[in-house]
Amino acid sequence: MIIDFPLIFESIPKMLMGIGVTFQVLLLSLVLGTALAIVLLLLRISGKWFLAWPSMVYIYIFRGTPILVQIFIIYHGLPGLDFVRESIFWPVFRDPFGCAIVALTLNNGAYISEILRGGVLGVERGLLEAGSALGLSLRQRFLYITTPIAIRLATPAYSNDVISLMKSTALVSTITVVDMTGIARTIVAETYAPYEIFISVAIVYLIITWFIQKAFGALERRMSRHVRQETAT
Amino acid sequence: MEATIGWWDDFFWAGVEVVQVFFVALAGTVAFGLMGAAAKLSNSRIAQKIANAYTIVFRGTPEILILLLIYFGSAITLTAIVNIFDPTVKFVDIPPFWAGSFGISLIVGGYATETFRGAFLGVDPGQIEAARALGISTVKTFFYVRVPAMWRLALPPFGNHMLSVIKDTALISVIGLNELLFVAEQGMAATAEPFPFFIAVGAIYLGFSTIITLTTMALEKHANKHLERVR
Repeated sequence: MIIDFPLIFESIPKMLMGIGVTFQVLLLSLVLGTALAIVLLLLRISGKWFLAWPSMVYIYIFRGTPILVQIFIIYHGLPGLDFVRESIFWPVFRDPFGCAIVALTLNNGAYISEILRGGVLGVERGLLEAGSALGLSLRQRFLYITTPIAIRLATPAYSNDVISLMKSTALVSTITVVDMTGIARTIVAETYAPYEIFISVAIVYLIITWFIQKAFGALERRMSRHVRQETAT
Repeated sequence: MEATIGWWDDFFWAGVEVVQVFFVALAGTVAFGLMGAAAKLSNSRIAQKIANAYTIVFRGTPEILILLLIYFGSAITLTAIVNIFDPTVKFVDIPPFWAGSFGISLIVGGYATETFRGAFLGVDPGQIEAARALGISTVKTFFYVRVPAMWRLALPPFGNHMLSVIKDTALISVIGLNELLFVAEQGMAATAEPFPFFIAVGAIYLGFSTIITLTTMALEKHANKHLERVR
């Protein structure tokens, strides 16, 4: 088995042209997914069953089915319905890129919501009791006590979720979106050199994973700097 | 859902295929997870390095890429080997079932490595010392003291690994296994009504996930039943 190095050097720039699409999918579905997750979380912890229940069902369905199936339902399934084709959202669902964003947002929102809920539940009760003893309203307690602590508690799990979202973006190549994996698959179909191409693109993904881990590591250290100083003295 | 009438036998056999992949891949996951954990906890620097590289690579790259690489990579290697003996052969592959199960085992095994490692370290060293003080042999200590305590710790994350395995089975359709998504694609081509077919696939997977979740809950209850009585 001879490794075709010229092919690798020729292909890497081509595949890197897809990195923009990969990052667009990642960032858009991350931001929209986080927003959706916050809504789901607020419904879930609202204390009213008719708000909490739909949120729980949503999370159960989207965490219980494979993301690839969700992508196919949205890309192949929805255009088969007349009311989708007639709705104002049709330009989104007609476009594979739009479908990819919608699918990853809906899926990721469910996962992030559970992560955020873990953070909220991790906030010490005593702090909230102290807040109420100081006369803070429920809203103030949530905004000034729960939120900052919950964010800090949820950050490690959130960074893992960003990495798994980054890996999920590779699935959009199955619905003709031309991301890095999509380009790699096209090159392999032409050259029939799976080792060279797939391993090089895997290394690119590994580097991105490494960057995400480093960035969140730095963020975590910064957010918990007051805790560290305490233990140092 | 009328469009899917007449397709239920296809869905059934595809579901059986998925269940088979699930059990094969789960066995592989446990095997790779235990090997990885053993390597990480061993005294050998080289084994530790290899295990670290393994978890970094298989947890940091997209699953679909690993499956494509294993399937097409093995196919090109096998074809090249067979061509040495018989140049007329065009294409030899590992069946997608085995390539896919192997790929999923490797991927989820990377996560299971960390779970098993954590569970092994989580067992109270006092219990091991107590067993030694009672004169119980090392092998018996492992199976009667360490493993029962360890699997209680490993169960909740292991339930998640089982869910990952079942959900990753959907990816094998990209390397051409005749599974649920494959049936849905055929149904879409034949009836031009894609929605009911893909919803059916989603519902079947949701059923599988529910069974796994309930099983994990029952197992956790079983593993912790001696603690309940104390409370």
